[in-house]
Amino acid sequence: MGESIEKLDTFPKLLMHHARVRPSSPAIREKDLGIWQTWSWAEFAAEVRAIACALAELGLKRGEHFALVGDNRPRLYATMAAVQCLGAIPVPLYQDAIAAEMAFPISNAGIALAFAEDQEQVDKLLEIAPQCPTLARIVYDDPRGMRHYRHDNLIAYDELLAKGRERLAARPSFVDEEIAKGTGGDTAAMFFTSGTTGVPKGVVHTHASLIGPSRTAAELEGLGPDDVILAYLPPAWIGQNIFSCAQAYVAGYCICCPESAETVMNDMREIAPTYYFAPPRVLENLLTAVSIRMEDASRAKRWLYRYFMGVAQRVGGAILDGKRVAPLDRLLYFLGNFFVYAPLRNVLGMSRVKVGYTAGEAIGPDLFRFYRSIGINLKQLYGSTETAVFVCIQPDGQVKPDTVGTAVPGVELRFTPQRELVVRSAGLFREYYKNPQATAQVKDGEGWFHTGDAGYFDADGHVKIIDRVKDVGSLADGTLFAPKYLENKLKFFPYIREAVCFGHGRDKVCAFVNIDPEAVGNWAEKRHMPYSGYTDLASRPEVYALVRECIEKVNADLANEPEIANSQIHRFLILHKELDADDGELTRTRKVRRGFIGEKYAPLVAALYEGRDTVHVEAQVKYEDGRTGTYSADLKIEDARTFAPAAAQRAA
Amino acid sequence: MKVVLSVEGVSLAFGGVKALQDVSFDVAEHEIRAIIGPNGAGKSSMLNVLNGVYHPQKGTIRFRERVFQDMSPRRAAELGIARTFQNIALFKGMTVLDNIMAGRNLKMRCNFLQQALWLGAAKREELEHRRAVEEIIDFLEIQHVRRTPVGRLPYGLQKRVELGRALAAEPTLLLLDEPMAGMNVEEKQDMCRFILDVNDHYGTTIVLIEHDMGVVMDISSRVVVLDYGRKIADGSPDEVRSDPKVIDAYLGVAHA
Amino acid sequence: MSDLSFFLEVLAGGLLAGVMYALVALGFVLIYKASGVFNFAQGSMVFFAALTLVSLLERDWNFWLALAVTLVVMVVLGMLIERLVLRPLVNQPQITLLMATIGLTFVLEGLSQLAWGSQPHGLELGIPDVPIEWLSMRWNINISQFDLFAAAVAGVLVAVLALLFQKTRIGRALRAVADDHQAALAVGIPLQHIWALVWAVAGFVALVAGVMWGVRNGVQYALTFTALKALPVLILGGFESILGAIVGGLIIGASEKLAEVYLGPYVGGGIESWFAYVVALLFLLVRPEGLFGEKHIDRV
Repeated sequence: MGESIEKLDTFPKLLMHHARVRPSSPAIREKDLGIWQTWSWAEFAAEVRAIACALAELGLKRGEHFALVGDNRPRLYATMAAVQCLGAIPVPLYQDAIAAEMAFPISNAGIALAFAEDQEQVDKLLEIAPQCPTLARIVYDDPRGMRHYRHDNLIAYDELLAKGRERLAARPSFVDEEIAKGTGGDTAAMFFTSGTTGVPKGVVHTHASLIGPSRTAAELEGLGPDDVILAYLPPAWIGQNIFSCAQAYVAGYCICCPESAETVMNDMREIAPTYYFAPPRVLENLLTAVSIRMEDASRAKRWLYRYFMGVAQRVGGAILDGKRVAPLDRLLYFLGNFFVYAPLRNVLGMSRVKVGYTAGEAIGPDLFRFYRSIGINLKQLYGSTETAVFVCIQPDGQVKPDTVGTAVPGVELRFTPQRELVVRSAGLFREYYKNPQATAQVKDGEGWFHTGDAGYFDADGHVKIIDRVKDVGSLADGTLFAPKYLENKLKFFPYIREAVCFGHGRDKVCAFVNIDPEAVGNWAEKRHMPYSGYTDLASRPEVYALVRECIEKVNADLANEPEIANSQIHRFLILHKELDADDGELTRTRKVRRGFIGEKYAPLVAALYEGRDTVHVEAQVKYEDGRTGTYSADLKIEDARTFAPAAAQRAA
Repeated sequence: MKVVLSVEGVSLAFGGVKALQDVSFDVAEHEIRAIIGPNGAGKSSMLNVLNGVYHPQKGTIRFRERVFQDMSPRRAAELGIARTFQNIALFKGMTVLDNIMAGRNLKMRCNFLQQALWLGAAKREELEHRRAVEEIIDFLEIQHVRRTPVGRLPYGLQKRVELGRALAAEPTLLLLDEPMAGMNVEEKQDMCRFILDVNDHYGTTIVLIEHDMGVVMDISSRVVVLDYGRKIADGSPDEVRSDPKVIDAYLGVAHA
Repeated sequence: MSDLSFFLEVLAGGLLAGVMYALVALGFVLIYKASGVFNFAQGSMVFFAALTLVSLLERDWNFWLALAVTLVVMVVLGMLIERLVLRPLVNQPQITLLMATIGLTFVLEGLSQLAWGSQPHGLELGIPDVPIEWLSMRWNINISQFDLFAAAVAGVLVAVLALLFQKTRIGRALRAVADDHQAALAVGIPLQHIWALVWAVAGFVALVAGVMWGVRNGVQYALTFTALKALPVLILGGFESILGAIVGGLIIGASEKLAEVYLGPYVGGGIESWFAYVVALLFLLVRPEGLFGEKHIDRV
């Protein structure tokens, strides 16, 4: 056997390795009918072999693409591995995509065979069948509701498995021969980027480009066969593939599939994963759920929670980072751990988490600190589909809320003069499928991948991402202006719902603010401040003071960052209406359309820069009951305090 | 068409109030049969007769070719007739799992002592029932609330749990008392889907009563219309919808 | 005698007395849980059981035979009460049911005295009510052998009831009936059988309590007042929880003994007889549903 796992260059080889070395260890678990069912590596490999045989019989050939649509299920992962055994290429698609969105990938990759989890997914594939003439057969897993389907291009997974077993018995060596033909340079999988702009692009990854970074990161974090992860994000997303497939094959750990999307929190508690990933949105929802529960708790419990969360906020992060903490605080933290943090980690299902990642969007510093302060090693990560995720990871002990850490070993990083982050690593994708033009746009002759993200190295050499390159501008004095970065900083305050910053080509930064009606409404109620609606609330001097306080905190923060210290917000106004996607001010995914807003409210922007104290607005407003009326009033404009840049202070 | 249930000339009166007068209809195997009618038409009385709560003064009811005699809710349950209630009769303090498990009450065979001592047979039986219940939970997509006390669930989910409990008895005839009452549009659509799925997947014959003509008409194979305790129409949804008597009843034409 | 061992002795004495309260409270909990009726007559059932047993013994019956016959009598009595008093009153308002059980109290008291006479009796089980020797030698703590026996009996009783409620179909049916009558009927649970069963069990529990209290205080009319001691226990533990009855009993027992010893001297003694009610009253203000009672959730 003496094979060295480091030399195994494809996923099927790794899979068979684990089936030999740790045949009875759990490979994958699924909660089905209320009970966790376990598949050992040997069982999983046996199923993969059988399915591979059956797929070969269905005509799947080396180099062909195979679509998979469904939730995280052992059978989906088995099928994916079986496809790879034959040297074919799995193309996981987003299971919540509408049918029309699936048509492009399937016709683009000329896909003939597909795996669909259930009736819902089968229906979608059947719906687009006319646009995808290549699509010949669909394998479905869950037979529920499929009894009356009379299409002869449908085949049940169970039937496939039975056929595969027969064929495997007839030719036991077939699959191994096929696996042996594969090499690390072969395409391992293709991921379609969701394509918010233009058509989606198929990102082609080889076995080498997925295995390389997976292995490096697993070594970095010390992942091994005893680790456990909960697979709950869409399989079509590369991160899910890396965490629940690539790294599991490299490290030999167990992946667990939740019962359904609604039971994730419960399943998480039962499984208690040791390795975890969650986008900031999920972390935020979890925290909200906890907070709501705490509000219902008894007074004593609420007091304990508040008191010890205060302790955690003060010293929890430092303790996790292994820094020095006063003995009394250490004792308090110890007590807090007993009464609050440990039970809380348990409720969150994170009591065993060794390392948790978050990525995808900027995470609010308070949210991030909350998890770290209760002893969960949550870290930020930077990467994209094209880089097989791992570009930067925050090293243990050097975790800061506003950077994404340092380069993972083997990754080269630099910033172009336009401040764009470019990356070169073993994890880079080979190309965009059938789209050399797009490939050439992002991957230059020397193999550098242009991420499209702008940022810089901070004083400690950590990468700080501030915005997309195309949105970054500069102030009149030529210093960096990153509106989204400023807006995000403002939006992390619960009172601020939206913010729009102006400053490109101007001498200073000014901002529009939308208050959060719910948070500010509660704040006003607690102060017995009557108000008649959003517009009224937004015009209150107290609310202006509240928002100014937030802005000044941001300014104080910015003063410490030499690169963008000049972007402090000098003047602001609170808009009389909420920005709305229906009015074209936001995109459907709630991103502000800065240019459009700048034009629509040009007189307001002008007033900000002309130094006036008020500006008159007249606008059509739509009331909640559907009536429209005209709103006419003077909006206040206020100044916010700015701070001398830290560098200047030190010099003085 | 195999008739599972036939109602012949049933009359029911409470004191002087005639709740049902000479009502006859039949229910075929595997069909979804709706009984509709305006308020006070006698729909609930009809359901309660089928369920053995009320005993009609006149008429006969045959269920699977046997005449109803000495009916009681328990007897009905034993015969394979399960029901849900208009205003949800669930064990509010018990979990979803326990509620549906309670629906299998009549299927439990082991005696008291075996259960108390958790002997082999009892253990096996419990696991078997648990599996059946889990399948229903899976079927109705309520895994996420398995351990939640029913009283904490939103209304639409409670209705679904009640359906689950009725299914747990593996009934041949399922009586649904205004399954869509008080639901929003989305919940109604969900409920319709589940009713159709139950009918298709378990092959259960379903009799449902509903106040308004809306969604039921889309899922029923045949519809009986009651008005003031009398049957005024019986047929396919389309026939019933265009029947002038039905239109009158719903538009409230004065009864002479 | 050191302060600590004195404290421990008082505490242990209190806890063991608490077990006795819990025994009575259990009977209430059972019936309340299953049918929502506060059975005011539980106290007189305890009295009736003890009196029947002691009268049979005084007629020179063999102890086990007498116990078995009393058990049968109590079970039949429980079922009869359900059949004759409560079943006809199904769906009547709570207050009516309560009044019926109050009436029942007088009927039972009259009946038992009519049958067995009204003079007090002593009851002896052969377990001496004397301190356990090695405990008092070694630790200087006096704990009665009989109290310990009573605690053990209570423990077994609770274990059996817990098994009945948690593990069996009847237990699930019982919980179901307690929760919603209509729903229970719909799944084929025979309400009346369950109620009859519960009353029979309540009769059995009354017998156990009656024997224990009888040995302790003698079998006399005052036994019916044990019901009043169960009230604060129920308020503390919650009317619907078996565990609550036990814990409530222990807390009440311990706190009233401790109060008597440590607070008594300051207010002139006699605290023991009313302290439990003060505790219960204070508790009502903080947590009206009791320690283990179910908080009723109303959806708005």
